Amino acid sequence: MRVSLFVAGLVAGCAVAQAQDKLVLDGSTTVGPIAKAFAESYMRQNPGVNITVSESGSGNGAKALLNGTCGIANLSRDLKGTERKAMEEKGVKPVAHVVAYDALPVIVHPSNRVKGLTIEQIRNIFTGAIRNWKEVGGEDRAIVVISRDTNSGTFETFKELVLGKEAKIVESAEYTGSNGGIRQRVQMTKGAIGYAGLGFVDRSVKSLEINGVAPSVETVLDKTYPISRELFMFTNGEPAPESLAGTFIGMSRSEKGREIIGEIGFVPVPPKQ
Amino acid sequence: MRMLTRKILDRAFTAGGYLAVALMTLFLLWVLVPIFVKGAGAYVFVGTVEYRRMMLGEFGRGNEQRVAAEWAEVQRAREPVYEAIAAFERELPALPVARRKELKPAFQAVREGVAVLLGPAPGKPLPALTRMIYGQTRWRQAQDKAANILFEETWDYSGNGSQKVHVPRQPLFEGTALAPVFPLLRKELRSLLRPRLTFYPRFLTDPSIDAHFFGGIGPEVLGTVYLALGAMLIAVPLGIVAAVYFQEYAREGPVLTFLRSCVNTLAGVPSVVFGLFGLAFFINTLHVSPGKSVLAGALTLALLVLPTVIRSSEEAIAAVPRAYKEGALALGAGQWRTVLTVILPAALPGILTGIVISMGRAAGETAPVVFTAAVSVGKWVTPSEVLSQPTPALSWNLYNLCTEHEAVEEIRHVQYGMAATLVLIVLALNLAAILIRARVAKRLKV
Repeated sequence: MRVSLFVAGLVAGCAVAQAQDKLVLDGSTTVGPIAKAFAESYMRQNPGVNITVSESGSGNGAKALLNGTCGIANLSRDLKGTERKAMEEKGVKPVAHVVAYDALPVIVHPSNRVKGLTIEQIRNIFTGAIRNWKEVGGEDRAIVVISRDTNSGTFETFKELVLGKEAKIVESAEYTGSNGGIRQRVQMTKGAIGYAGLGFVDRSVKSLEINGVAPSVETVLDKTYPISRELFMFTNGEPAPESLAGTFIGMSRSEKGREIIGEIGFVPVPPKQ
Repeated sequence: MRMLTRKILDRAFTAGGYLAVALMTLFLLWVLVPIFVKGAGAYVFVGTVEYRRMMLGEFGRGNEQRVAAEWAEVQRAREPVYEAIAAFERELPALPVARRKELKPAFQAVREGVAVLLGPAPGKPLPALTRMIYGQTRWRQAQDKAANILFEETWDYSGNGSQKVHVPRQPLFEGTALAPVFPLLRKELRSLLRPRLTFYPRFLTDPSIDAHFFGGIGPEVLGTVYLALGAMLIAVPLGIVAAVYFQEYAREGPVLTFLRSCVNTLAGVPSVVFGLFGLAFFINTLHVSPGKSVLAGALTLALLVLPTVIRSSEEAIAAVPRAYKEGALALGAGQWRTVLTVILPAALPGILTGIVISMGRAAGETAPVVFTAAVSVGKWVTPSEVLSQPTPALSWNLYNLCTEHEAVEEIRHVQYGMAATLVLIVLALNLAAILIRARVAKRLKV
């Protein structure tokens, strides 16, 4: 890995082509912290390289890859069938790279006495069948459902893993544009329930046990926590291993990259063999 | 009698006016004072030895010997803490199982808390993220982190309704090797961290380190300047030409009415629509740049402020006394020459005011640059890169740091620093508008 970084540095250092020392990342706000930390670490080691990271949501990341306005699209979900089709028509060949694993802790205000819920209960809460905390063992307080916006990959994952494809989220739900935003909303609202990426949940909110399993690095790795997912970086075609995009994504399997992912709070993928 | 009613009405009207102004001032103070007070915290604060180590390590600033000497003293002061932790670690396996089960999670929390407060323990490998290489750089936050070690914040669900309770951790560890850590953190925190009043004016010009945990907002400020200046460079010539056309050349009629209503409509379009239009038109259709870029953002912002520039220029031109124009025409100047040498110079103060105020607007807008120019991490953009390179910008990054950042609470000072800086830039621009106007008006009179 170190050798390939060194090579990338050399290539970038004496690159004639502009494209070689520039990399644009766009997409998921969940993958954002990983991409930002990778970019800073990479640019520190290769001062000639210019990497920019935008966090505009998984949906916009996929659109940016489709329109060719980014080199790497960060997605917190897999590409949808419609997106793949649109890319096919435009001649874009999306290649998925799993950079980390993540869980979606279901979070409530810390004053909430409910310790855990079943998937079934969460589904009922988000679809509006359960509207008061006392129905699931809490105190008599109306449930405020907070969800991510529909552009979000986190929303798609949550919907697929918990609610099912056909389910409709209760119409009184609030929609928030980012993981941080949803946490802040839950932190401020006593009856709130929401969900966010593992790296965004801190002590200011309470993560619920789901089917008796608390979200953590261990329960993601042994697959006992039911709402887990992969975090992706997509490229147009397989990047050459020594190219900027190739070495950048390769970081996720390097020692340093895995350390970064772990320190931010996500679960690193296994190292390169 | 009628006189009296009139007087009362008059007074009431005046009082209403005063009230409105007073309310506005109060509101302005209510909004701005906290922003400036908290924003000043990014520039002036009580920094710890960790701050000085960070500045030396990351920016190469500060006196190396002095920091090293201070660091040696601090490490001596911290020794008992690390010794107690190490001693407890040795003691833990020998404890009865029940006691061990009770203490282990609390010990874990204490050890992690100490690492957050003081940085990684000596001899341990350095973490990969810069934010974790150093302890708390700001005294205020250090005190909070110390409290997190001393007390466990939990919720008591037993009563009617739940209550937040702070349970001290010390009694739990009474009689163990870890016990001395707690009084140290309570009483000796100053010698562990050495707080000192710190000025950091370069917050304005430093790049950020590790997603704004350390460093300043230099690239953001520069990006904002690029975007605002770029927008003006495009909008001003277009706007003035349009204003001259409307005032001097166009004939009243349906075409003019239509054009005017176009400008008015443009002025009423929400800014996010401009942002999406900029993405769809400039980037995805015209391909002015390979992706987001300063150019695309400036073009979008230019569209946004164009109506303001046109309207203010029009008003300034309309305010030029007819006699000026008639005099010029009577002296044999053509219309083109009259506009260029008589009308525009006389209208200049008004036009400039409009320009500077629009510039303030362009600097503060978020929605138009989200999709066209702004990124959350990026290097300094050099002037030669503005055509192709996206940039961080104050308005967008402020939003980003307040909502999307992974550790919103840890970087409050950066958020307020950014907000205060942005407000100051806009206020300074408005002040400049007033000054320029006064100056040019004076010169024209002579």
